[in-house]
Amino acid sequence: MTENLNEMEMELKDRLSLIENMIAEGRRGTESWGWVFLLWGVAYYVAILWSSTSFLGPIWGRQYLAWPVTMSLSCVLTIVIGARKQGKRPSTTISRAIAAMWMAMGISMFILLLSLGISGRVEQQVFIAIIAAMLGTTNAASSFILRWKVQFACAVVWWAAAVISLFSNVTQSSLVFLLAIFLCQIVFGVYGMVAEARSRRQGAIHA
Amino acid sequence: MPELPELNPVIHGKLRLALLSLLAGVEEAEFTWLRVKTGSTDGNLGAQLLKLEEAGYIAVEKKFVQRKPQTLYRMTEAGRQALTEYVQALKSLLGPAING
Repeated sequence: MTENLNEMEMELKDRLSLIENMIAEGRRGTESWGWVFLLWGVAYYVAILWSSTSFLGPIWGRQYLAWPVTMSLSCVLTIVIGARKQGKRPSTTISRAIAAMWMAMGISMFILLLSLGISGRVEQQVFIAIIAAMLGTTNAASSFILRWKVQFACAVVWWAAAVISLFSNVTQSSLVFLLAIFLCQIVFGVYGMVAEARSRRQGAIHA
Repeated sequence: MPELPELNPVIHGKLRLALLSLLAGVEEAEFTWLRVKTGSTDGNLGAQLLKLEEAGYIAVEKKFVQRKPQTLYRMTEAGRQALTEYVQALKSLLGPAING
């Protein structure tokens, strides 16, 4: 009797899980996220290159402008392109939840890094560890909502980069950061865009 | 624990439940996309979609795109309502076990 009840309970839980998985599957295949990761990956590389290389010229020579200008421009581009891609499609609870997490992370990062920069209490390894840990947290939260193992793998890479950065010298920490950006932004972004294009070809249309 | 028959029998079939849940997440979807996502055969998928259509839970639109036939499925308001009620029924049946 108890065994039958347990079986029934398992069966019902299985149904609930199936519903959640299928809804997430539909969303994951049709929402458009890949380009955002790619855009920010390129932005990080531009900022790093600009801030660490002695370019000639009145604008490129001002290395202190690298991060604020690149990040602000990326924010504007994300909002403009995102609005155009969204068009007249209705937003969904999941898309709003994901967007809210990333916006909150962006604001936190902006406030924290700006304050660190102005106060002068910034050390490159700590700077990288903070960025990596915050990106790890947001990627992990997003992967739990979307039930997306590939994105959780990105979160693990970011967390690993945060830890390694704190136990390495400046050069090693920079290399780890560049590698994490390449894997979790550029490669993951391109992978996301390819998956989205494949899904569109198969015939699902964004809700 | 209450008996299973209280659950909507049209939705209770696993493939039909999966199809309705998939359609809840998108505006509309093609037959081929649903086939890929569910891993079902053409025949079985067509039969289950027909049952959902007969129950009024999904709407079907057939058209030609570049001379190729395209069948699009979308969830109706009745389908959304039925799925919501089904989830509520499941949760009430599970009761405290839902967090276990």
